[in-house]
Amino acid sequence: MKHDKIEKNLGLLMLFTMVVISIGGLVEIVPLFHINDTIEKVEGVRPYTPLELRGRDLYQREGCYLCHSQMIRPFRDEALRYGHYSLAAESKYDHPFQWGSKRTGPDLARVGEKYSNEWQVQHLVAPRSVVPESIMPNYPWLLKNDLAFADIADRLRALKKVGVPYSESKAEYEANVKEFGAEVAEMLDIQKAQENLIKQAQSGNYDGDANRITEMEAMVAYLQMLGTLVDFSQYDEGHFVQFR
Amino acid sequence: MIGEIFNWLGDMRNSKILALLIFFIGFVILLVFVYTGKERSKRLESYKNMPFLDDDEDEQKSSTTVKKDE
Amino acid sequence: MAHSMAAKAEYNYDIIKKFAAMAMVWGVLGMFVGFYAASELAFPFLNFDNQYITFGRLRPVHTTLVIFGFGGSALFATSYYIVQRTCQASLHGKGLATFTFWGWQISVALGVVSYMLGYTQAREYAEFEWPIDLLITATWLVYLYVYVMTLRKRSQPHIYVANWFFMAFILATAILHVFNNLAVPVDMFGMKSYSLFSGVQDAMTQWWYGHNAVGFFLTAAFLGMMYYFVPKQAGRPVYSYRLSVIHFWALVFLYMWVGGHHLHWTALPDWTSTLAATFSIILLMPSWGGMINGIMTMSGAWDKLRTDPVMRFLIVSLSFYGMSTFEGPMMALKSVNALSHYTDWTIGHVHSGALGWVAMVSFGSFYHMVPKLYNTKMYSEKLIFTHFWLATIGIVLYITAMWTSGIGQGLILRAFDSYGNLAYTFVESVSYLHGPYITRAIGGFLFVTGAAIMAYNLYMTAKQGKREAAEAAAAAA
Repeated sequence: MKHDKIEKNLGLLMLFTMVVISIGGLVEIVPLFHINDTIEKVEGVRPYTPLELRGRDLYQREGCYLCHSQMIRPFRDEALRYGHYSLAAESKYDHPFQWGSKRTGPDLARVGEKYSNEWQVQHLVAPRSVVPESIMPNYPWLLKNDLAFADIADRLRALKKVGVPYSESKAEYEANVKEFGAEVAEMLDIQKAQENLIKQAQSGNYDGDANRITEMEAMVAYLQMLGTLVDFSQYDEGHFVQFR
Repeated sequence: MIGEIFNWLGDMRNSKILALLIFFIGFVILLVFVYTGKERSKRLESYKNMPFLDDDEDEQKSSTTVKKDE
Repeated sequence: MAHSMAAKAEYNYDIIKKFAAMAMVWGVLGMFVGFYAASELAFPFLNFDNQYITFGRLRPVHTTLVIFGFGGSALFATSYYIVQRTCQASLHGKGLATFTFWGWQISVALGVVSYMLGYTQAREYAEFEWPIDLLITATWLVYLYVYVMTLRKRSQPHIYVANWFFMAFILATAILHVFNNLAVPVDMFGMKSYSLFSGVQDAMTQWWYGHNAVGFFLTAAFLGMMYYFVPKQAGRPVYSYRLSVIHFWALVFLYMWVGGHHLHWTALPDWTSTLAATFSIILLMPSWGGMINGIMTMSGAWDKLRTDPVMRFLIVSLSFYGMSTFEGPMMALKSVNALSHYTDWTIGHVHSGALGWVAMVSFGSFYHMVPKLYNTKMYSEKLIFTHFWLATIGIVLYITAMWTSGIGQGLILRAFDSYGNLAYTFVESVSYLHGPYITRAIGGFLFVTGAAIMAYNLYMTAKQGKREAAEAAAAAA
């Protein structure tokens, strides 16, 4: 009879604890999954091309997110320094998000096209040769290593499973043409992933080495597209406030 | 009147306030439960001696007094 | 209490000794990596153009080693100790407990090696890639099972409050770990995966995890430690048992709401971050409830502070707990956060909690527990005092350096000149950080030196205990 009470206490403790710890998360996270109905509609946001995606993978591998944010806040100093504040829609294809939590270096949400490819390469290989006060590590191996992209189709397929609209069937391709236009839809075709990656690397020549596809190629391609998708001049000032 | 209350309860937008109300009331009940009743208070406070129940055999070697460096 | 002698003979101390030893190994290693990474920020040449040791790869190595390696092993050790001694029952399942030991140690080791090789989920404090996540999940479920089964063997109906905190920690960590690590692997035989959620949802899930890793792993569980070792070391029962009940439920309820304060002013909807800020302020009350309960337990035993270095560790840890749980809600205010976010102020805040509270309370608990495990006394009291001063001075240097760099950088970046242009470029704020970064590295060095001294002291204590046991056995024979 004493034993019954023991079991009851322990069971109740665990049950109540579970209820109490679940509620906060449920209330705050669940509504965010309906956010897609209320999120701002903006033109231009699209999934990453195969080459950009590999660059993003490398960005994570090197832990860039530990010193650089990709989330501009709605303050005057940040607007002057980085540009328009970041929209939720701009990271909707980001698995995982890379908003960051620390700015030992500047925010990178809109760094794309602010510097030339040559500058980016030089800065990644030897940051202090272009910014003497910088404390960023050198990343010379990005230029030395060939980019591994044999599994690029598998990577796109994994992303497709979590909801990024890369296309495998004809119908999915057609849907992408309607949503993003033919040029982008072409890039999102999983069958052509490898071909597209090579094509973009050769035409962009981001690393300055026309004969090889290095890791630098992917990294710079990624950096150069950050924040370039939305054309903010299309929208009235204050247009996005209604969605906050 | 009753219908209105049910409508309000059924509306997902009120879930946050509702959850808060439920848990706040639960917390107040807990407070009342813990701090009322002489017997209950005494029983609850008696539990604080539990860490000392198996103390007898290490009192001689308690590490509260550590060995001095010679 | 005639039953306790018999019960004690059955306590499984072996598993606790193992976890305690590994906690010290990972602790010293992890704090050293932290010191090295801090030095890289002060002197970037220390990256040596070596991809395995750049700051970006070492930082998760540091956080994983100290949080999961040191903190996790310390929690396994103390929870197994406390659950046995407050239930007067032996640990359930010898083999299962051993499994939790190896599962946990292998996860930590694989994790840090994989980060250096470049495998990471890029989620702060959850960088383990999916195969390691699975191993951690298995280990954790066995831990839950061992813990629950041991509680079922307890000698009386009531469960001592320290075990409530450990129970909440185990349950919450299980939920957090599983939901935050939902991901789809690229290849069943590869390390790479992509997270199930994206953008806003992913950010909220990650910081729901991130803050509750602090709330349950680094706070609730260490409060469990506090509720056992502070009364034991002070030789007095806890100040108010009813307060501990109230503050337990308030704490476990409130913590889960506050993760959104890591995402103020971002693309997260305003209502979420406002809600998180509100709850962060309310959270001050249960946090201080715990601190007051701990400090009041020692009142009446203040004279021990002069003679007992272990008491000093415990009182300082509670003071830092009180300070950082005040600083936290303040930084969760949106106006303060606008300045503090993205700066070293956050890093300083984390360390006043992690060094000041988590590490100090673990040190105090270990100095109490390890001699008991080996049935002896601490090898050297002098070295405990030395450790205490190295650790305290180290923390103070660390935190003040981070306040200086964080608040300074925040102010520099938002400064305008008289024409309304930005007064400074970004890189000017980086040069400003140099001085504080050196000070921080020195503080970290003092702290890790103290921890190394402790490891030596505990090692010698274990050796002394084994020798005494052998002598006693010889004398008896």
